[in-house]
Amino acid sequence: MATSVTPSPTLARPELAGASRSTDQVIAHRSAPGRTGRAIYLAANIAILVFLLAPIAIVFVFALNPTPFIQFPPVGVSLRWFEKFFSARDFMHALVFSLEVAVLTTMAATVLGASAALAIARGNIPGSRIIVATMLSPLMLPAILTGLALFQAYVLLDVGRPVWGLVAGHTLVTIPYVVRTTLAVLHNFDTRLEEAAQNLGASPTRTFFEVTLPLVKPGVLAGGIFAFIVSFDQFPVSLFLVSPGNETLPITLFNYLKFDLDGTIGAASVISILLAVLVVIALDRTVGLRSTVKL
Amino acid sequence: MTSASRAHLTRRRLLAAGASLGLGAVAAPYVARAEEPVLNITGWGGKWGDVMSTEIGPAFEKEFKCKLRTDTALPFLPKLQASSRAAPIYDVLHTNSNEQWAAAEMGLVEPKVDPKLVPNIADVYPYAASDKIVGISIFTSAIGLGMRTDKGYGPITSWKELWDAKYNGVRGGYVIPVNSLGQAFVMMCGTLFGKGQTDLDAAYAALEKLKPIKLVDFTGAMEKLFLSGEVGLGVIHDSGIYRYDGQNQPIDFVTPSEGVLSLEQVLTITPGSKMKELANAYLNYMLRPEVQKRLAETVWYSPANKKVKLEAKYDAKLLTTPEKVSKLIQVDWKWYNAQKDAIDSRINRIFRA
Repeated sequence: MATSVTPSPTLARPELAGASRSTDQVIAHRSAPGRTGRAIYLAANIAILVFLLAPIAIVFVFALNPTPFIQFPPVGVSLRWFEKFFSARDFMHALVFSLEVAVLTTMAATVLGASAALAIARGNIPGSRIIVATMLSPLMLPAILTGLALFQAYVLLDVGRPVWGLVAGHTLVTIPYVVRTTLAVLHNFDTRLEEAAQNLGASPTRTFFEVTLPLVKPGVLAGGIFAFIVSFDQFPVSLFLVSPGNETLPITLFNYLKFDLDGTIGAASVISILLAVLVVIALDRTVGLRSTVKL
Repeated sequence: MTSASRAHLTRRRLLAAGASLGLGAVAAPYVARAEEPVLNITGWGGKWGDVMSTEIGPAFEKEFKCKLRTDTALPFLPKLQASSRAAPIYDVLHTNSNEQWAAAEMGLVEPKVDPKLVPNIADVYPYAASDKIVGISIFTSAIGLGMRTDKGYGPITSWKELWDAKYNGVRGGYVIPVNSLGQAFVMMCGTLFGKGQTDLDAAYAALEKLKPIKLVDFTGAMEKLFLSGEVGLGVIHDSGIYRYDGQNQPIDFVTPSEGVLSLEQVLTITPGSKMKELANAYLNYMLRPEVQKRLAETVWYSPANKKVKLEAKYDAKLLTTPEKVSKLIQVDWKWYNAQKDAIDSRINRIFRA
């Protein structure tokens, strides 16, 4: 196809061409530092990405390297450590158990955290700032002390180390994430929408499920994802609360590490990373994560 | 993914599956709870844990009609400390000698085992029931030197060769405050360069001269440093080298002429245990020759029972005769634990620099 170049109306007018040139020079002069700034900005972002992803890359290399020790550069590619991981009864039991605990924790933390956030934001409760600070306090306390304190409480109550006790411990340290993310959404919540629904005859329950909940869903879901991941990877709280035969994956890995430091640890870490990704995908497929949470 | 298959994974089904999994996890221990007596013990993971959970443990449960609940999740001592003295979390504590002494000092474990209740004690080597042991030692490893055999180092006969400048850069040791091999090595330094185990000034001076040195937390990590060649000569226990027997690895264990340090596997009974009879039976069972043989040949620990007859390749390397056992140097853990805070502080300063 033939193309033709039409002279710019600006350039066609000699009296304006000079002005345009000087304007271009000014823009060019101004954009030089702008370009440098963009380059620095880009380089900084790449550096942050490398910083974040390098440990994951090393884990992948360790998991796929056939040697029983960390070696760089790797000498080959092998799935032997994955085979060892999947054929080890202890690891598989720990993986399934960690998933069960994480699912339970996510459900409990989401329900309790979102309810608490709603009450704090909407309930006109006196001292709500103190309540928020209290609810976030598990994040400030070293988690190992939380684990030890709960362990001692269970001992005093003479209940041993039950699975529900472990779930309660995980829930305690994951609730702050749900509270924080839900409160962030509620901060910009337009209450007139609820009033409108009720003016149109909706009951409080219906208003909650059809107006309030869909609007706070992004915050609740984001908190739920945090809760799942924090629970699945939780180590310090679990350290004191796991019971014989019911060890979570991080605890099993730690015990394994004491005697064997081979690629099985890397394989387990890769599985954990993939599981976290799978959870996000599953949530996307089932509750439309993409439409509610900007990731 | 087709729309039909996608339809299978609905929100309701995902939540229902999650709830079922969770409730199952919570309920399972109560559903499975049996009426039989339960003996709560501690134990190691790895190969030890495998053979205990698949062979040795089930055989004990069958013979004594009980349930063995083994906690393999460290740390054992803080958990025991945090639990009630009258109803301790463990009936039998299995750990290394240094922790056992700390537990005994706090009154968490009984210092001695009654030979009348554990008759197999009559067959153990003297070290296993000596005054350096709280409870009873069922196995020991020898702490000595590990070396790469492919670096042309030549024969090594003494601990003091670890200080040779030619090992700068390939010398290996432990983060002493958290590792019992490292702690035992401190006292070896006192013996080698001073008046004995308790000569800390001599030990500190020797440790200062040991730099540069690669330090690790766990023996498992030290094994890998040997395998990768990052460490050519370092402190390690014999089991950590012998376990690679038959794998064609260029590593070997050296028994220095000054002797090897003892790293005992010790069992004790907690004073508040409601299962004393069963606990004593367990100690006795773990000292049985057939049990000792099976475990020794699995994890390369030297059995405490004199009557154990190991296969030739294990017998050749492990401490299975009075002559070999006489090479063992037992550490005064009671004394060490009393000084531990001061030692840790000083050693942290030495290696931080």
